[in-house]
Amino acid sequence: MVDASVAKQLVQAIIDNLPEPVPGKRPVHTIGMGVKGEFVASDVARTYCIAEHFKGERVPASVRFSNGLGGPERHDGWSDVRGMATRFHLPNGAATDLIATTLGEFFVRNVADFFEFAEVAKLAPYPRRSPWLKIWDMLQLKLPPRNPYPNETRNVNAGALRYANRHRFAQLGVVQAAVIGAPVSYARATYHAVHTFVVEDPDGVRRPVRFSWQPVAGVRNTNPEVVPCDDYLRQELESRLRRWPARFMLMMTIGEAGHALNDPTQPWPARRIRVVMGTLTLTEVPEDQDAAGEHISFNPHRLLPGIEVSKDPILEARLGAYEVSREMRGGCPFRWS
Amino acid sequence: MPGDEGWFDRFVDGLSDRWLFKLFAKWVLVPLWAWWTPVKPLPGGPPQSIQPGDNLQCMMNLIMPLKDKSPVGRAKAAAAIAQNKDAIYAGLNNVGTVHFARFVIVGDNICMFSVYDGDFTNYIRDFIVTIGEVFNAVVKLVEGGEKVTPCEDHVEAFIQWVHERDLYQVPDTATDILRDQEALNGDRAASGNDDLTLLPRKLTLQLRANPNVSLGSGYRAYPGFSAAQVRERLGIGW
Repeated sequence: MVDASVAKQLVQAIIDNLPEPVPGKRPVHTIGMGVKGEFVASDVARTYCIAEHFKGERVPASVRFSNGLGGPERHDGWSDVRGMATRFHLPNGAATDLIATTLGEFFVRNVADFFEFAEVAKLAPYPRRSPWLKIWDMLQLKLPPRNPYPNETRNVNAGALRYANRHRFAQLGVVQAAVIGAPVSYARATYHAVHTFVVEDPDGVRRPVRFSWQPVAGVRNTNPEVVPCDDYLRQELESRLRRWPARFMLMMTIGEAGHALNDPTQPWPARRIRVVMGTLTLTEVPEDQDAAGEHISFNPHRLLPGIEVSKDPILEARLGAYEVSREMRGGCPFRWS
Repeated sequence: MPGDEGWFDRFVDGLSDRWLFKLFAKWVLVPLWAWWTPVKPLPGGPPQSIQPGDNLQCMMNLIMPLKDKSPVGRAKAAAAIAQNKDAIYAGLNNVGTVHFARFVIVGDNICMFSVYDGDFTNYIRDFIVTIGEVFNAVVKLVEGGEKVTPCEDHVEAFIQWVHERDLYQVPDTATDILRDQEALNGDRAASGNDDLTLLPRKLTLQLRANPNVSLGSGYRAYPGFSAAQVRERLGIGW
């Protein structure tokens, strides 16, 4: 386990790189919204995993969607990683969390990598590139960097690129993050839990797996050619859910021996066995947003018997880092069940 | 993106979509960079892997230029397939590792697209044994095909010939094409002094070297299952 001081350093490294820290709020994924829904496992889910929420009963769920950026400003239309943290509320009062983002692969393998990344990828001025340099880029068959968004003066893009140029394992995550775009709706993006978990079936067979939420409404991004709108995702989801529920399928991909089971920078091939584990139906945006999302302290280690974490060092570090972040904002303490 | 930029910014932002720049890129920039930073063609077929999932439902995308580039040539190719329907079905049933296979004429090429389980060389070997006659009928209509027919007499040469016409399969993820290029050049380092902003150029030059490619590993409704497993579970036997 990552010790408490390292967990604090991890959170501090994030806070130190924020344009404007917000005391009492999450350091990253600061802007978010809570949604109510329910999860129903598929008929086959229980044959792969004995965890309570895969038995087929309706399980109430709380979901917090978020923009990845830290800080108090809302920039829905900026290209950014989005979060989807889901809490499954079991009938006996227990709960389990599944935390996912639109980024398919992470950009560091372990805590040491993370500290190096935080050192290299510092916030830096992000001016508009001169047209002459853009022409030079084009003559080299390079894609010029995008223009800054309105009011965007700093970001970590240059540092992240420097880091990825040094470390090939980071390149996929960094490139994906750079081109990820903005969804037209929180309900129209795919969210990946990134890390490997280990599920146990009724016969005691244990399998390494990765989870993703796939939107039934399909994936769609905004047009990157137009000026982004800063505030639309909240209203869009409220309006959508007033008309009709939004659904996500929980997909579980089964890993094979030889996979990078403990390395979140490495993708698994699309040719692995993929199981539909259930459907999440989102029904309502509650008025009390504090209770619906802001005050829920999610943790990827909040698991039920039947699911365990893998030995992924980043997943291991998130246990402590989420707790430190939770303590800083005075959220509910972590419970094992 | 519109904003507070001047006319020259806007002009440059739209430059890559202007026909004059596209013409310049096509005839000057791309050939120039291809000459200066040459790129080798990447080999076709699925990447080598020992993992079971990678050896199931493999793709073969064979593009074979017809000798006779006319409607008559295309008709001859179509007739060769139609006349051998029974042989194709019986052969594929005997091979037992094929999920689907089809012939397609695109332009002046006859193409064979198939999804099979197991090793590529064994797949072709099985084909030679079971439907070698069909291959002979098709390949003799194809440029360079006379050197490897009858395929029963040129087994290894025929396998190599097919492999060379099998399309390079561009990886699913944006950066894995860089790893393929590095591997082809013997570079297997975990870290380097790379320049990720060159990704568009590297992709462009690779697609110049491999003008026909398969994009991604392809969607599968039931990945990880062999043709035999699917037929067994459906209760339709062999």
